[in-house]
Amino acid sequence: MSLCHYLAVGAALFAIGLFGVLTRRNIIGILMSVELMFNAANINLVAFNRFVHHDALVGNTIAVFNMTVAAAEIVVGLALLLAIYRQRDTIYVENFNILKG
Amino acid sequence: MESLIEQGAFWLLSGVAIVSALFVVSLKNAVHSALMLGLSLLAVAGLFGSLGADFLFAAQIMVYVSGIAVLILFVVMIAGSEDLNRTRQINDQWAAAGVVAVIVFGALWKLAGEFANMQAPGGAEPTTLGIAKLLLGDYALPFELVSVMLMAALLGAILFSRTDPGSEEGSS
Repeated sequence: MSLCHYLAVGAALFAIGLFGVLTRRNIIGILMSVELMFNAANINLVAFNRFVHHDALVGNTIAVFNMTVAAAEIVVGLALLLAIYRQRDTIYVENFNILKG
Repeated sequence: MESLIEQGAFWLLSGVAIVSALFVVSLKNAVHSALMLGLSLLAVAGLFGSLGADFLFAAQIMVYVSGIAVLILFVVMIAGSEDLNRTRQINDQWAAAGVVAVIVFGALWKLAGEFANMQAPGGAEPTTLGIAKLLLGDYALPFELVSVMLMAALLGAILFSRTDPGSEEGSS
């Protein structure tokens, strides 16, 4: 398998995640699509590490950081979602207009 | 020469990852979406394995599949309301969003084509020792910063999700 194949898989996952972020009405669906995009970025990092800089492991290390940031993001996002759900009783983003003046 | 098994594993894993990702963005029921997300993340873990990143393979399964996917599933069960199966889950801008996604995919595909026929040098080696040396060596400061960020996320999650005894519930 050449590097091109892995990059294509990463591109497909990223595009699918982008489509999900733009079209989902449900905030949980948006968060799941964001996770797909994080995974696409991780695939690209690891693939470049394997094919271009085989002797160093910097790409793998950055992917570990990326994974940690994704975990923190999803935890805070879900906590915010639960807080908003408790107050507004909805999970659809078009009803999330609390900040609207 | 690469073996037929390697090629078969790549096509199988990437097919599962992409098809289940399509289900994640298109299924109506959020519970099914979350389960499909778990499957997609598992296939991505397999892709990490086929790239020789053994530490990331294990970390992906531990953090994503058994952590994040299960957490999302819990939240779907708590916050998912009854009308999830009846109301539309896709907004009115889906056509424009599809165009944007196709354009982004086309651009990335073109970029990926630049790297055609680039083969992996040598065989894969265990990566855990190298990652540990980098994390506690050159990347020690980012490592500490990430631990601070995780602490902040933990405290923030507790702060946002607790019920305040002083204020009344349901005030909008």
